[in-house]
Amino acid sequence: MIYRGLGLKEKIISSIIISVATVSSLLLLAMLIFILRESWPIWSQIGVSGFLFGSSWRPLNTPPEIGILSMIVSTMWVAGGALLIAAPLGFGCAIFLAEFAPRPLAAILRPVINMLTGIPSVVYGFLGAAVLVKFFEVKFDLASGESLFAASLILAIMVIPFIVANSEAALRLVAPEYRHAGIALGVSRQYLTLRILVPLARKGMFGALVLAFGRAMGETMAVLMLAGNTLRLPGSWFDKGEPLPALIALELGSTTPGSSHHQALFAVGLVLVLMVIAVNIGINLLLNRLQKGG
Amino acid sequence: MVKRRIWLSVLLCCILAFTMLAGCASNETGSENNAAPTEDYSIKIGGSSTLAPIIAQCADSFTEEFKTWDKVDTSLPEEPIVIFVSTGGSGFGLKSAVDGTFDFGMVSKNLKDEEKEQFANGSITQLGSDVLIIGVNSENPVAQVKPDLTTEELVSIFSGKIKNWQELDPALPDRSIVVAVRDLGGGASEVFDAAVMKGTPISDEALQIPSMGALAGKIMDNKDTIGYVSSGLVNQNPDKITPISVDGIAPTLENINSGAYKIGRALLLVSKDKPDNMEQKFLDYLLSEKGLGVVEELGYVPVAR
Repeated sequence: MIYRGLGLKEKIISSIIISVATVSSLLLLAMLIFILRESWPIWSQIGVSGFLFGSSWRPLNTPPEIGILSMIVSTMWVAGGALLIAAPLGFGCAIFLAEFAPRPLAAILRPVINMLTGIPSVVYGFLGAAVLVKFFEVKFDLASGESLFAASLILAIMVIPFIVANSEAALRLVAPEYRHAGIALGVSRQYLTLRILVPLARKGMFGALVLAFGRAMGETMAVLMLAGNTLRLPGSWFDKGEPLPALIALELGSTTPGSSHHQALFAVGLVLVLMVIAVNIGINLLLNRLQKGG
Repeated sequence: MVKRRIWLSVLLCCILAFTMLAGCASNETGSENNAAPTEDYSIKIGGSSTLAPIIAQCADSFTEEFKTWDKVDTSLPEEPIVIFVSTGGSGFGLKSAVDGTFDFGMVSKNLKDEEKEQFANGSITQLGSDVLIIGVNSENPVAQVKPDLTTEELVSIFSGKIKNWQELDPALPDRSIVVAVRDLGGGASEVFDAAVMKGTPISDEALQIPSMGALAGKIMDNKDTIGYVSSGLVNQNPDKITPISVDGIAPTLENINSGAYKIGRALLLVSKDKPDNMEQKFLDYLLSEKGLGVVEELGYVPVAR
């Protein structure tokens, strides 16, 4: 056993760590069970497919129409769009910082990028609402400047630091032998980086992307202020929409506990949690397969 | 070895669990002590974000004026006055007043009968009303061309049947109408539904804006926007938001007080139990000239005395 040869002190410490870890996973489980219980009437009355693929959200009508397809689509557009913008910038930045940047420059750039994570999301949302929305209205002569695209732009800025930090760490973790071998063979710096180091670090870089996607899906304040919160099914990136977190934030304050509106919002929360978990699990499976194949 | 390890884990888990339970228990006894009327000298108020600034300002001036309870009423102990005010929406205010989290819940909506029943043993105090005014940007020509809309026209605009200003009146520009509303299901949208829409669903293209201040800001920033705004915010920005009359009735103070202008909601404080002496003193203060002055100062219509 792993404990063999350890002193009593180590055994106690590792037991404490195990129990704390157990308790925190139980906490996640308890939270899921609580949300499921709160939202149960929705699942049993409307059914999973009716809830997920219904496109009409009128929870106060009698009988209430509760379908969140347009919110799910909005969430995917906003988060996917944010990654579309953030991934090239973030990867480029990470590769630059890890391989090409002169040390003094990297020493300045890195903390600046990390500092972006410390800015509260409401500040980003406020900036976006004050600057981006106006900009779209004036430049493109739109009736109103809120759109999924505007929300994606702000979300991209919010997730870039995560992509940069994690991808850079992944690049630095590549065993130095590869680098030495590459240099010994006399390949160019670009070839070394793009053909040798990046493929070796792809698991970590992919992980960075997943982390960013999860964050972008769950982000609330910025999308609440920028996506426009319309109930229509968005047809393009430049339409307005209402992502799931914005829906919960907007409506939970005015519901009465026990009402089907309240239960429906809990169901929305469950869907959001499961979506984030599913993305994480799915990507992990994919990575494992990549690992075995390569 | 394995067995011992398992036992050790179990033991530690138990200790952890008991510590957590012990923590809960001591908290509970603490709050019980606080709840006893002889020991709790604070008033906790929470709920509607519309009412919060009013109550907070009154609480400040009340605390500053009297400082300790015995100065308010000599029968009360010489303890510092503490009034907590927190926001979270009308629904939260109702819920917290019912479950006892707060002594008073701030609610800015007209209560339904079944909601009133919950406070049958307690109190419902109206401080004033928050009137919703249909507002447009002052640069929008509709302010001159058509400063008076009928209820039917409003329903067509807000339900999305009319999408373009020109459809409303040929003299208006060929630009789409941006409809801005508060979150469907919130207090303000319930008021608007009861007074104007009467069940007709709001357009699914309407922008749902998370706060009244942001909604007023949207109207001020965007000249194609129409929306309903708290009268307070219209009064604070008279040059930027133009009020629209409904069925010929302008949202003036006289029309609001006489009840002719109908788009409004009550500003209420609710409590589950009869207010105790201290709470009653604060309620009296809110309903005094000073308290209602604050209601008016912040742009709402104080309750007639």
